[in-house]
Amino acid sequence: MFGAFRPTNSLGGGLLWKIPWRLSKFQKARQRKRLRAVDTVVAVVDQALAKKSITTKAVERWKEEMPIEQEMVPKDKYTIFDRKEKKYRKGIHKLPKWTRVSQRVNPPGY
Amino acid sequence: MSYFRITLMRSGIGLPKRTQGVLKALGLRQRMKTVFYPVTPEVAGQIMKVKELVAVREVDRALTKHELKAERKPDPGFYMERAARR
Repeated sequence: MFGAFRPTNSLGGGLLWKIPWRLSKFQKARQRKRLRAVDTVVAVVDQALAKKSITTKAVERWKEEMPIEQEMVPKDKYTIFDRKEKKYRKGIHKLPKWTRVSQRVNPPGY
Repeated sequence: MSYFRITLMRSGIGLPKRTQGVLKALGLRQRMKTVFYPVTPEVAGQIMKVKELVAVREVDRALTKHELKAERKPDPGFYMERAARR
């Protein structure tokens, strides 16, 4: 508590957020795995419908607009656009429920 | 007739009511619950709503509750021999 080796964190008022600013390599690996899992689901649904020669708007739109995991650049996999942030990017783990929502595209040019 | 075999891998807790409603409509009430639906555009749309939460396979027929249970059962590692009839 007192002395030369007191923890500095509690000095700043008590509230301390320990969320790292970037993902670890393991978090990145799991993020890629989740992206691929979603790609698989879409591919399975698409193939099943194609066998019956049906098309669905939801699937067609996804295929048209969203890149698959292998097509995405690392910047888009692990960070998202934020206008308030320096250099307009922040870690994707700042997105609420980020492991259960799809966030693949960002504004062009950022 | 082909079916979608849909398994809930991730819970819908804390997600929008709309998403939770789709899970309820599909009959996915807890994680690892498996349901079967015929391949139709309606079901495909529902799957697309919850694609981050489920694992999907296309299968030829819908399994019954007992078949699903037998699938989960681990191999006992032994079998009982029967006495040969003399």
